[in-house]
Amino acid sequence: MTDYTLAIDNLVVERGSRRIVDGLSLSLAPGEIYALLGGNGAGKSTTLFAILGFLPVSSGTLTVCGHSPAASPDAVRASVAYLPENVALYDHLTARENVDYFLKVADCTRSRADIEQAFASVSLAEAAWDQRAGRFSKGMRQKTAIALALLRNTPLLLLDEPTSGLDPAAAADFHGLLEALSARGVSILMVTHDLLGAADTADRIGLIAGGRIANEWRAQASGPRFDLNTLHDGFAGVK
Amino acid sequence: MVPITAFRPVWDPPSDLAFAALGNRDIAPAILRVRSLSLEAQLYENESANPELSLAGRFDLVFITIYIAPLVLIALLHDVWSGEREAGRLFMLSSLPRARRRLWTVRIAVRIAGVLAALLIPFAVGAILAGTALPRVLAFGGLITLACLFWSAVILLVARRGASSVVNAATLASIWFALTLVVPAAANLVINASVPVPDGAELARENREFVHGAWDRPREQTMDAFLALYPQHVAGSALPPTFHYKWYFAFQHLGDLHVADQSRAYRDGIAGRAAYARAAGWLLPPAGIAQAMTALAGTDVTAQLEFQQRIRAYHTRLREYYYDYLFSERPFDVSILANVPRFAPADDDDAGAH
Repeated sequence: MTDYTLAIDNLVVERGSRRIVDGLSLSLAPGEIYALLGGNGAGKSTTLFAILGFLPVSSGTLTVCGHSPAASPDAVRASVAYLPENVALYDHLTARENVDYFLKVADCTRSRADIEQAFASVSLAEAAWDQRAGRFSKGMRQKTAIALALLRNTPLLLLDEPTSGLDPAAAADFHGLLEALSARGVSILMVTHDLLGAADTADRIGLIAGGRIANEWRAQASGPRFDLNTLHDGFAGVK
Repeated sequence: MVPITAFRPVWDPPSDLAFAALGNRDIAPAILRVRSLSLEAQLYENESANPELSLAGRFDLVFITIYIAPLVLIALLHDVWSGEREAGRLFMLSSLPRARRRLWTVRIAVRIAGVLAALLIPFAVGAILAGTALPRVLAFGGLITLACLFWSAVILLVARRGASSVVNAATLASIWFALTLVVPAAANLVINASVPVPDGAELARENREFVHGAWDRPREQTMDAFLALYPQHVAGSALPPTFHYKWYFAFQHLGDLHVADQSRAYRDGIAGRAAYARAAGWLLPPAGIAQAMTALAGTDVTAQLEFQQRIRAYHTRLREYYYDYLFSERPFDVSILANVPRFAPADDDDAGAH
């Protein structure tokens, strides 16, 4: 039996009288990258918020490394690094100071060398390490946040629209980073509209509609990873 | 004979907490001069605000705690969560383990502690200089803390709803305006309308008119009424055909008795309003805490009425001392002036007041 980093079974999440997530099931093995695609309001971000324990689960089961967000929110959050669509840092602090602050809040202690190594591994230019984050581009802020995730060494990374607003080169850089993290055993759940980016990086792509997985594709071991026409038709059909 | 009508000082010494809670001391006279003539007019002829103090307003620690500190707390706490949400960091911060304890609790506690320190440290310095007893320092400090915690709870309840910083600030400013100004003012109007209090100046006028009218009344009428109250002085009550202070003192006292009911109604009215205000304080915590602070400092209406009762008791001792001299027809002796009762704030009570 596989020890899943993230295991969701028949999840239902409601906001008021509206059922946003309705019977969603998915699981992520260590090192797996899962791209969750869907239209606006399909329940993608709500799923991420349920995983983080920000929204209560109405029914179904949801565990991260065996912990339920409702019963053990801190244990779940200790296992998860979350990157919102627009990573925001403290503008008046440098990249190093930002990472240091977030680590302190997360009760992690890392040396200066560890932080520099994390910055180097996400290809954040050395000149930016001690530069105030107010001057950073979106890509630089994402790299800083990924460095933070590396330093926290969490087994699960949740990404909400990570490549929206990135230029193609920065998006390619970012996907390279995700692959490096995956190689280290980090499971990644990525909510995105970027079909091509997902096809480049993900091991599985799930199409969410009406609050549940309507279709799912697995990357092929040889040849093109995904049939883009199939993905496109599936996506367009649901939308 | 002039010295027997000389003014004597009476005063209500400030308590060891009066420096922090002026209460009514800026409008109710704490130092008066009274003489052995009719008292009531003397009490109320001073019933006007000190214009210099009124101009500045009552700017004491109670004012700062009840009116200013909430605004500072609102400024510091209204955007604890909304500020981070608007900056785009809220969910990333909240996704960190133990963020509630290590981040939000610490941030909130530091901000509240800063406001408390700004209030409590100057208060502690003042208390040391004033030699305030430790239990009273702790009680007053507790009330300051209670006021800050009340407002912090209100602010955090509003801030937690998830509205924007602007909406939070506007909502909290409205709540502050309602709780500290509008509702207490409305409650005050209702209480004043419900509990009528005779006008102090009217009481003084009535007293004076009666006293001055005595010059036109038969002297026997005055002396009979007075001696009914002081039968022990009947033996020495014979009046010469000319003016005598026995008669003069008699109609002065009868002047007080003439307005006794109004005076009691005035005191009862003031005390009644204070009782209603205390009851309203349970529904309006800021007003209730302010009342508790002035009560603890001995500067509230109750303390003012108690001071008046001490003056009445002293005035009774003073005039009865002179009655003994006047009605015994003893020749004047300087020892009579030397032994005139002196006001002692802590000793005089209303036990002997007529």
